[in-house]
Amino acid sequence: MKQDAFSKLHPAVNLLFFIGAICLGVLLQHPVYLLAGIFASGAYYLLLNGRKAIKNILLMIPLFMFITLFNPIVNTRGVTVLFTYFDRPYTLEALVYGVAVAATFVLMLLWFGCYGKVLTGDKFTCLFGNLAPSLSLLLVMVFRMIPNLLQKAKQIIGVRSSIGKGTSEKSSLKDKLQSGMTVIGVLTSWALEGSITTSDSMRSRGYGTSKRTSFTVYRVTKFDLVLTAVMLVLLGAVIGFAANGGMNAEFLPERNITPIKGVNIIGFIAYFVYLMIPTLLQITEVIQWKISESKI
Amino acid sequence: MENIRIENLTFSYPTSKDKKSLDNVSLKTDKGEYIVLCGKSGSGKTTLLRHLKTVLTPHGERTGEIYFNGSALKDVDSREQSAKIGFVMQNPDDQIVTDKVWDELAFGLESLGCDRKTMRSRVAEMACYFGIQDWFHRDVAALSGGQKQLLNLASIMAMQPEVLILDEPTSQLDPIAASDFLNTVRKINTELGTTVIITEHRLEDIFPYADRAIVMDSGKIIADDKPAKIGRLLYEQNNPMFAAMPTPVRVFYNAGSRGSCPLTVRDGRAWLDKELDAEPKIKEIPCKNIDDKAENPALSLKELWFRYEKNTPDILRGVSLEIPSGSIFAIVGGNGAGKSTMLKAICGICKPYRGKIKVFGKSSDKFKSGELFRNCVSMLPQDPKSLFVKKTVREELEEMTRDKNKISEIAETCQIAELFDSHPYDLSGGEQQKTALAKVLLTEPKILLLDEPTKGMDSFFKETFAAILNNLKSQGITILMVSHDVEFCAKYADRVSMFFDGQVLTTDTPQNFFGGNSFYTTSANRMSRHIFTNAVTAENVVELYCKNKGETV
Repeated sequence: MKQDAFSKLHPAVNLLFFIGAICLGVLLQHPVYLLAGIFASGAYYLLLNGRKAIKNILLMIPLFMFITLFNPIVNTRGVTVLFTYFDRPYTLEALVYGVAVAATFVLMLLWFGCYGKVLTGDKFTCLFGNLAPSLSLLLVMVFRMIPNLLQKAKQIIGVRSSIGKGTSEKSSLKDKLQSGMTVIGVLTSWALEGSITTSDSMRSRGYGTSKRTSFTVYRVTKFDLVLTAVMLVLLGAVIGFAANGGMNAEFLPERNITPIKGVNIIGFIAYFVYLMIPTLLQITEVIQWKISESKI
Repeated sequence: MENIRIENLTFSYPTSKDKKSLDNVSLKTDKGEYIVLCGKSGSGKTTLLRHLKTVLTPHGERTGEIYFNGSALKDVDSREQSAKIGFVMQNPDDQIVTDKVWDELAFGLESLGCDRKTMRSRVAEMACYFGIQDWFHRDVAALSGGQKQLLNLASIMAMQPEVLILDEPTSQLDPIAASDFLNTVRKINTELGTTVIITEHRLEDIFPYADRAIVMDSGKIIADDKPAKIGRLLYEQNNPMFAAMPTPVRVFYNAGSRGSCPLTVRDGRAWLDKELDAEPKIKEIPCKNIDDKAENPALSLKELWFRYEKNTPDILRGVSLEIPSGSIFAIVGGNGAGKSTMLKAICGICKPYRGKIKVFGKSSDKFKSGELFRNCVSMLPQDPKSLFVKKTVREELEEMTRDKNKISEIAETCQIAELFDSHPYDLSGGEQQKTALAKVLLTEPKILLLDEPTKGMDSFFKETFAAILNNLKSQGITILMVSHDVEFCAKYADRVSMFFDGQVLTTDTPQNFFGGNSFYTTSANRMSRHIFTNAVTAENVVELYCKNKGETV
């Protein structure tokens, strides 16, 4: 599979980026910042997943609406009452706060979606392999097991239906449950059986004979270092401005949102540029490629 | 120089104390030898191999001693054993631990605590030597069976072992992948001087190149000699193991010849040339031609088209086929050609988007749910284990029917009566296959579909299995099997078809079918096709040879 420019960097750079993006995303409730976050994460999510992303993003809209509209029902604080029901007020402030909460939620979904694509299991082991080699190996094995079991389950269901033991839409719930239980039972014994071979194979390759080291195919390049420096500077700027109250936003009981003007614009730009790093890298790579192609 | 020495090793498993799994086995290997260990399944091959590595040694009662490079194996520390003795097992999937190819390659080195720099160069070396660089970054799940087994081998070779032990490494692979794998093993032996000890059913690919062949029978070593001599020994002892010998060897001895025995097809051809005239009088096995149109076919497929997903290429591209009732019909073809998919389509697991399937003249859509599998169609899957859901064989069979008489009748046919109280997972591969077959037969099918039935079977069991199939055929059951195993199809099928590019191409009798092919055919045919027109099994060649000799003498 072809990787995008950011995924090709050292896993530590990837991890630093996501820690920054996710922490700031949770902390900064300012509407403009949330909007910038959703834009940047959405752009990168699209870039990573292509066509499939559109469907997923569309699915987030009803979720967003639901959280927004639901918030005033549980939260009745706020000064501007829109209407009352069962003697409970439904306030504008709580509704706006709902928008912010929903936006944060969607933002997290998008960032974690990107995280899953970029920081694959092997990158994770590369980062933590030397700290806790056995733990990271365990995680890798668990991650491998899940798709394996799903595939086996599919195989068993197919085999059972080819001897007339399958279920169809018309089968009763009891039959369906029973056949589901059977499949799970088979999977368990299958997994146990397989794990004996796996453990033999591990021990015969010296597992547990000495202190484990960890191999990785990733190397730190000069570009990784430069980009890390840039990211740290941008992060520092954002945190600095945030600490000075340049990004404050309060919703309850009254809306009090700091306007972005004057020197605070720098903070916003720093935040936005930081979030756009992965997307910008990919765009630069494509443009560079086009230029070198046109020279041929 | 001596490498491994086994002295008077006797071993029995705790569950069967009276039966010795290994009986007074003594064996010596020199450095750089290529040794093939053969014997029926259950003859103690795996038990013996597992004794050569302390961590894999089974529990049980044992006497005797094993030495590695002069010192007792149990005193060699496990770190040294891990590095110096490599062990490849049967199942390609379960041996793999991690999710990426490069990670798996480094697994052994990581365990030994190598530093990153050494690992980097060793892994790079291995990837190049084994031709893995193209799929170095792939997920393990995306590899084929052959690639997985090659990865297991490479991962072990990265530790630079002195001895490489392989326990039926190709039993789960298709013939092309298997012979690639065995060639790689041979390359390791000749280029690196690694001692190789291998057990294998597919002797044709190994026998000519091995330095020594060791034959085991019920825990004893009954022969230990150069491959060229082993054939004669087994033939004279009338040992059933003789059936597993490569085709040229079987033809040579069965034809009554003595002297230096040909081991390869090339030598076999030379031997036939020497013995017979270029134009012998009898060139053909009599066989009748078949008419293309079968009357009242048991199963007919018309123009089936199928693909798994909207954007993937078609797997079935207009499959048309008619299976006459009461015959054994074999479909051969390469890996991933869509043979198994076709069987799934017949069972309704895959729904073709175009085309018609008729079972006994009735369109398969018209069968109500489940009706198709009641006394009609049933499929034996590639992996018999996927059929097993209960704790004993008896319960397995009782899941299908309550009729005790029927169960014992089927158990009789499949020869599994004595296995009734065993756990299905404890059975050997062949026994599992028989149990699975019994379970499938309890649906009382009129059409039996077999998906790669001979995978992992040894040559004796193939004969037993074929006898069961012939018995079923005589009861009027139509059998359709898809297989890689051309030798088996040539010997036992009534008709053979070629599956290629999503279609069924030619259909003919095995004699005409394989007789007409020059690459995709049995080794008996490749050995004799320059003289005989349609000899496709060792028996055919022997028959023609004797007829010609009988006349000329």
